[in-house]
Amino acid sequence: MSDLKLQHLDKIYDNKVQAVFDFNLDVKNGELIVLVGPSGCGKSTTLRMVAGLEDISAGNLIIDGKDVTQMAPKDRDIAMVFQNYALYGHMTIYENMAFSLMLRKENKNEIHQKVLSAAEILGLTDQLNKKPNQLSGGQRQRVAMGRAIVRTPKVFLFDEPLSNLDAKLRSATRREILLLHKRLRATMLYVTHDQTEALTLADRIVCMSMGHVQQIGTPLELYDTPANLFVAGFIGLPPMNFFDVEVKNGELICESFKVALTPEEKGALERYEGTTITLGVRPEDVSEGGDISVNVFSNENLGQTTLVNGVVGKHRITCKFREWCTYKAGDTVNVSFKKKHFFDKKTTDAISLR
Amino acid sequence: MNFNNEAMIKRDRLRYTKNKLSANLTLLAIILNALYFVSIYKSDVGSFYYNYLIGISVVYNLLFMLIAFLASEGVKTYKVGYSFALIGIGAGQIIRIFILPMNASKTSLSLGGEDTMVMESGQFIYVCVCLIASAALCIIAGIVNIAKARALAEHQAEIDNKAKGS
Repeated sequence: MSDLKLQHLDKIYDNKVQAVFDFNLDVKNGELIVLVGPSGCGKSTTLRMVAGLEDISAGNLIIDGKDVTQMAPKDRDIAMVFQNYALYGHMTIYENMAFSLMLRKENKNEIHQKVLSAAEILGLTDQLNKKPNQLSGGQRQRVAMGRAIVRTPKVFLFDEPLSNLDAKLRSATRREILLLHKRLRATMLYVTHDQTEALTLADRIVCMSMGHVQQIGTPLELYDTPANLFVAGFIGLPPMNFFDVEVKNGELICESFKVALTPEEKGALERYEGTTITLGVRPEDVSEGGDISVNVFSNENLGQTTLVNGVVGKHRITCKFREWCTYKAGDTVNVSFKKKHFFDKKTTDAISLR
Repeated sequence: MNFNNEAMIKRDRLRYTKNKLSANLTLLAIILNALYFVSIYKSDVGSFYYNYLIGISVVYNLLFMLIAFLASEGVKTYKVGYSFALIGIGAGQIIRIFILPMNASKTSLSLGGEDTMVMESGQFIYVCVCLIASAALCIIAGIVNIAKARALAEHQAEIDNKAKGS
């Protein structure tokens, strides 16, 4: 396994549309990096550039200290797992997994051992004589992963591998990928638009929007200290609540509520005195009891938690309460905010409390 | 699964790979048989061949190709029954040498006032080679399949015993 360096990568298509802007990333040996972002943000394009399926317009791609920017995909020693599995329907699972090694004309006995070993890791030993159409979606995706594993590549690339699976199978396969990563300690680059996948799988997450990297960090860093409004809104489910508030005399003043600031917050927001900033509060940081009145319009019981949607003045708010609630539309619930996030209204960057 | 040696890995491979060798040998036997009957049927020797034997020959050729093709699919999955079918039709190919080709090579006809052999020695050798090679390929394919199927069965039994033991 190897380290991977993406240095100032740009992707400009022939029609002059730029899909990726100055992408920089250092992936350490054995690290699982998840590229996350909404559709069209450039994450798959970046992955395809690493795979060699898209030309790199500018910048360098270095795998294990070797510049592979201009190298053909087959010479880069990487393996890619696609969303649609890309299995050969007329071949058995064994043949599908062995195929790339047969093309390399490797010793048949060695191929056999590699395929059996990969099948054992993935729990596919009993399925080796079946054809892909006899397997479930999750099993097919495991075969696609097995095909990558047998090659023992320097880097594994996953392009939304779980998108074709139903919710239950997705979470099971996600756990399998995580176990697989722990077992192989392989360098992996994983693309998804699903933040749950990103948060549960990643050693580090790269959050992208409009071709730009918004933040690179551990899942906790992205969740706890988002770099800007985009990351704050994208990471976390349900998304963060935002309010336009004025900083005045140690308080945050909205048209319908006031929030007192702690001394630490006061210090950080000193230079914003008299201006409007964006206050962000995660639904799970809203607690019942307090002096902010929420006019409830829906109550969603999720079993362990309840999502209460309502309005505070002109702002919509979602509260995530840790018990079974039975609010009805039109009810009023008083809440308070625990952890608060602050963002510059003009730049949308986070205001650091440090 | 732990493998002790290369031979064991080779045997274990049989569990997941098809018997392509036997299947391909059988397909080659079909081609050689086709070369044989094309050589016979294109002979321009008056009405010598126009009797019941040629009808039986046509039907047998069709049967041979059908059985050989089915056997080529069957041996892919190590089905021993198809091996015996292959050995049987292989033996049949040898017997065929003594029917049409042998008769034709010993018979002369008067064509256009000239005495002509129905089957010249060159053609006789050619059809004999086709039939013998076709027979040999069928028999080899059958024997190879029996050997592989036995090896596979023994290996599978070994695995099952180990599984029961553990």
